[in-house]
Amino acid sequence: MKGKCYIQGMAAITPQHTFEGDLSQPLVVTHGNMLSCVEPDYRSFIAPNSLRRMTRVLKMGLAASLKCLQDSGIAVPGAIVTGTGKGSLQDTERFIKEIRDYEEKALNPTPFIQSTYNAVNGLIALQQKCTQYNNTFVHRGFSFEHALLDSMLLLHEGTRDVLAGAFDEITPEHFFIKGRIGHWKKEVISNDALYEHVSPGTISGEGAIFFLLAPAATAQSYAQIGGLEMLYKPSPGKLKTALPQFLQKNGLQVTDIDLVLTGANADSNHAHYYEVLNDLTHCPQLPFKHLSGDYETAGAFALWLAGQMLKQQQIPSQWFPMLQQQPARLRNILIYNHFFGEQHTFMLVQAV
Amino acid sequence: MAERVFITGLGMITAIGDNVADNLRSLRAQKSGLDFTRQLDTIYKAVLPVAEVKHTTPALREMAGVAGKEGYTRTALLGLIAMQEALQHAGLGSLEDESTGFINASTVGGMCDTENVYFDIADPEKTGDFVKYIDTLDCADCTQQIAEVVGINGPMTTISTACSSSANALMYGARLIKAGLVRRVICGGTEALTRFTLNGFNSLKNIDKRPCRPFDNDRNGLNLGEGAAYLVLESESLVKERNATVLAALDGYANTNEAFHPTAPSPDGDGAYAAMKTAMEMGGCTPADIQYVNVHGTATLSNDVAEGMALQRLFGENVPKFSSTKPFTGHTLAAAGGIEAIYAVLAISHQIIFPNLHFKDKMQELNITPETQLLEPYPVRHVLSNSFGFGGNNASLLISKYEG
Repeated sequence: MKGKCYIQGMAAITPQHTFEGDLSQPLVVTHGNMLSCVEPDYRSFIAPNSLRRMTRVLKMGLAASLKCLQDSGIAVPGAIVTGTGKGSLQDTERFIKEIRDYEEKALNPTPFIQSTYNAVNGLIALQQKCTQYNNTFVHRGFSFEHALLDSMLLLHEGTRDVLAGAFDEITPEHFFIKGRIGHWKKEVISNDALYEHVSPGTISGEGAIFFLLAPAATAQSYAQIGGLEMLYKPSPGKLKTALPQFLQKNGLQVTDIDLVLTGANADSNHAHYYEVLNDLTHCPQLPFKHLSGDYETAGAFALWLAGQMLKQQQIPSQWFPMLQQQPARLRNILIYNHFFGEQHTFMLVQAV
Repeated sequence: MAERVFITGLGMITAIGDNVADNLRSLRAQKSGLDFTRQLDTIYKAVLPVAEVKHTTPALREMAGVAGKEGYTRTALLGLIAMQEALQHAGLGSLEDESTGFINASTVGGMCDTENVYFDIADPEKTGDFVKYIDTLDCADCTQQIAEVVGINGPMTTISTACSSSANALMYGARLIKAGLVRRVICGGTEALTRFTLNGFNSLKNIDKRPCRPFDNDRNGLNLGEGAAYLVLESESLVKERNATVLAALDGYANTNEAFHPTAPSPDGDGAYAAMKTAMEMGGCTPADIQYVNVHGTATLSNDVAEGMALQRLFGENVPKFSSTKPFTGHTLAAAGGIEAIYAVLAISHQIIFPNLHFKDKMQELNITPETQLLEPYPVRHVLSNSFGFGGNNASLLISKYEG
């Protein structure tokens, strides 16, 4: 596939103060293994009567998408493509409970409608009157990444711009459920001390992050998405050969990489995969999940970080205290992330 | 120049048959799959008809060749059965020699099983065997279970755009091939009946207590169904290389959004019109080239008006034969687009048009009526297959006869 893909606008609602795109905000420290988003005031984006009906991830998704469009100066995108691992958990949980509590009688359909995985996409389309292509991917650690691949295909096919995004929320109930299968650490920690606690499990997180993607660069471009690779449950050998192949396919050598953003999350069950990065010792490797927590579409947060860093040519040191020194230049950022060892992704993000 | 995308294998399981041949037999016999549920624990057991696959979950496990193995939901098992047939039909024993993708579709993943144990799963006081279902809560689980059994080694993901999910899966697979990222992708969807969706559609007052009557003036809603369907898509070059039999070509597709209402179409069928028109034009067809439209035809009040208006707008005085096959299979949500795409291929390969069961009276709002007779032989070269869903999602596929 030929063709280029540039980030022309972005917005992120995350457990950090990211919504205004200001990298000088202090690190938000949460004690406890469940990070929740710092939510903006939704009233400047969503009408009060709509706001009352909407549940949390719908608000987060819609507000992040509208802020992204605002940032890019585009009202109606040529397509809307998203990824979500869990959709609206609050609505799913509520509808399951109401089926039980009201014994299947006289149910309110709203939570059912809002639990549909493409509900956020539908809302964005409705609000912006976007009648073009609209798709939603729901495949754990490949949800956002396939949304991105679909967007790149659309640009290649001639779509003028694409709104691509990801959203996921965590609820106390779901946090408990996933804890039962070992997703989270047993010991209660603070996110700023995540990497000191290498043990089974990690900390959970959430986020709603959107990008406006276009095939040509302008002065407002944040970065170029140079490459994307997905690997399902790769063997250590496969992973080891896949990384240099990925770089080579994009015309780069290991030494061309200026920074690696890694999904390393202090989970001792799946930490060994990150050994694939041992050949990239010439540049800083920064983990990002102490900022976002871990969730299916955390890769979108890494892409947002990379876009910000490339545009501002700076790494926010208060968010990355492990950074020893700012790199001399930031041209090529490699992102490597995986979701509990299953879905592995490489992303190459380049300065414009 | 992008390669053409061909359909080289079909596999399915629905309430009217455990495989493609049985489905065709029931379609020809005009035998509906609607009945009351035997599997679902609901107060609507003897009230709301559904089109259920006529096997218990343990029986499906046997059929799928995973008897005695734990962790497969009904959703995954239906999918696995359809997937195995599709691969066999395409003459594919092992997938090792060619990177093969899998684009699946699901609306509620493993809900069919998890809804029965959810309150145990969420209760810290309870412990037990149910913990194994936690991983099946999402939509990716069924996809990965199916992929791992058959050895999928290419791009893999799951799409969820409500009732248009598997049409979008087919479209995405075709685009991956055209972009040259892969030469073979298996696309479709799987859906098991759940209390969750039954109550969801019932709370929307969208379910008819009678067998559904698409495009009838007296229609009063849909009936839910379950099933799975997959189509093997291959690039022209791969088809030539391995000398595969081409069943039909996927020459056109479109995905549009209505941006009208979260759960209702625009009364003029703007989205349906745009989707059909774009798919048709992409395949180089004019309205006169289309012999059959397998309509979405859920028999809800609003869908059939909108879709009928769109047909009239697109085809004018010469609306081709059209029918909804949902009175046979029920509305199988994420599987519907795949199931109906297979019916479109069958319409072409057997030169047949399937009847729209349960139709009596023309809708007041429309000038057109669906085909109520089984027509065979009937010359069919190009079929449009429609799938529309919540969130304003509209998808149309153009499936065409392969003429060498």
